[in-house]
Amino acid sequence: MTTTSGVTPATGVAKRAVEVNGLTKRFGSRTAVDGLSFALPIGVVAGFIGPNGAGKTTTMGMLLGLVAPTSGTGTVLGHPLGEPSTYLGRVGALIESPAFWPSLTGAENLQLLATLSGHDSGEIPGVLDLVGLAERATDRFGSYSFGMKQRLGVAAALLGDPALLILDEPTNGLDPAGISDMRRLIASVTRDDRTVLVSSHILSELEQVCDWLIVIDEGSLLYQGPADGYLAQAGTVVVVAAEHRADMDRLATLARAEGLDAVIDGDEIVLPVELETGDPRALAVTLNRIAFEDGIILAELRVRRPTLESHYLATVEGDHR
Amino acid sequence: MIRTFRAELVKLRRRRVLVLAAIATVLFSIGTAAVVLASAEPAANRPGFGQGTTIEALSAADGGTEVFTTGTSFAGTFVFVVFVGAIAVEFSRGTVRTMLLRQPRRGALLAGKLASLFAFAAVVLAVAEALTWIAATLLAPTQDIPTGEWRSLAAIGHALADYATVLFWVGGYALLGLTVAVLTRSVPVALAIGIAWAGPFEHLIQDGWNTATRVFPGLLLEAFIAGGTSDVSALRAFGTVAAYMLVAAAVAATTFVRRDVTA
Repeated sequence: MTTTSGVTPATGVAKRAVEVNGLTKRFGSRTAVDGLSFALPIGVVAGFIGPNGAGKTTTMGMLLGLVAPTSGTGTVLGHPLGEPSTYLGRVGALIESPAFWPSLTGAENLQLLATLSGHDSGEIPGVLDLVGLAERATDRFGSYSFGMKQRLGVAAALLGDPALLILDEPTNGLDPAGISDMRRLIASVTRDDRTVLVSSHILSELEQVCDWLIVIDEGSLLYQGPADGYLAQAGTVVVVAAEHRADMDRLATLARAEGLDAVIDGDEIVLPVELETGDPRALAVTLNRIAFEDGIILAELRVRRPTLESHYLATVEGDHR
Repeated sequence: MIRTFRAELVKLRRRRVLVLAAIATVLFSIGTAAVVLASAEPAANRPGFGQGTTIEALSAADGGTEVFTTGTSFAGTFVFVVFVGAIAVEFSRGTVRTMLLRQPRRGALLAGKLASLFAFAAVVLAVAEALTWIAATLLAPTQDIPTGEWRSLAAIGHALADYATVLFWVGGYALLGLTVAVLTRSVPVALAIGIAWAGPFEHLIQDGWNTATRVFPGLLLEAFIAGGTSDVSALRAFGTVAAYMLVAAAVAATTFVRRDVTA
């Protein structure tokens, strides 16, 4: 049995890393987060996505005790949301831009934070090495590039071997190489007993590291669950195009005669694959056979699977209609 | 609070900070001794109360450390600026957010930070008092000021009392600075408000309203370190400033604990 707080009574161990119910935050007349409810199982790498101003940073701020909820309840690692001192020792976070003391070296910044949180400063060389800053540990933070500052932020979050890692836009402002490095870094710190909640606008990068998704818009939940489940909501399609434009109508007619739902979209014909039962490869074979038997030469035949970005945009745009 | 105190020392114990503090302390001590001794005149030339240091006063047992308190009394704005800067910069730079992720007990964080800065200031002041005494001892003969009493047992008691006075005075500016910094969360805004208020604003009002000396914190702190003025005694200044300090601490702590940290 699990209580509503996500804690197994017999052991006192949290089964969910995070659980919030009806979380709301208003700043004056503006509602930043509106009755948000979600649960985050232990051990997942969860992508937290939503447009600018959707309430992601405010939600993370509430989880971290920086922002007081207007209403709603929740638990983090089994402890009530209103008591951050009971759980923040096991939470590492990088929220908004990395903020450190520019005149201190990277190592000194971590020393200060380790002292502040009561963590073993012996961890510092290890986390600096993990984020690739070991050789710049004695350089002043003010001399770091933006990417290095972000990596020091992740190093600080890793102090104390956290059970929950919250990273808010860790790829913000990074160049493509930096984004790729950050993705690898996030992938390298995941493990079964550590939950990671990461927000990012680079959905293609998020797609590669996340196995769980929380999608919000205008402060409200649109989806929570496995990343595969989110993408499964979007249809895969087979796209086909004839070499000669004049053959397109004929090919579409032949496909429809086979009972397929063919729609001409510009220079290509799009055929949706049934969500649960459809086999895109079989559909492609059928189309190829139809075209071959009728002497139509194909210029293109491919399966187009949904991406996190395409489905997210469809979800958000649909939500706004 | 202890962890915050120790964490702040990571910043304050750096060689660069210590060297800068040492240089500033030496320059302040020598400069203060030279200026105060050079400006001292016979009492006959200074008939009013609180009109500056006299040669007779400097010749007494507390003369050596009076140089220190007199010199320090002109550094109120500096002390205020240092504390405002040290606190407000944590907000404007976003490091207060970083610290709260590691120490969510906000009251303890604020208290620990203030305590560490105050402890550092206390050490600097102790060194400054000793150096000022040494410099004054060396320079006093140039003004024909006898220093025999400066080495008496009574002088030690005066030195401790003067040190406590200066420490309280620094504490007053520190708490006022802390409160302005927490309320404004911006270095330039905090400095503009603080300096404008404690500097020209209080003195301009004082010109037209004598009671201001007994009401405004900056004027009260000035009166306290000067050992009282014709308008307010040192004891009354002490009591009123202590009350202001309590109110300032309560306002700063309540604001810091209750306010969302969104930047």
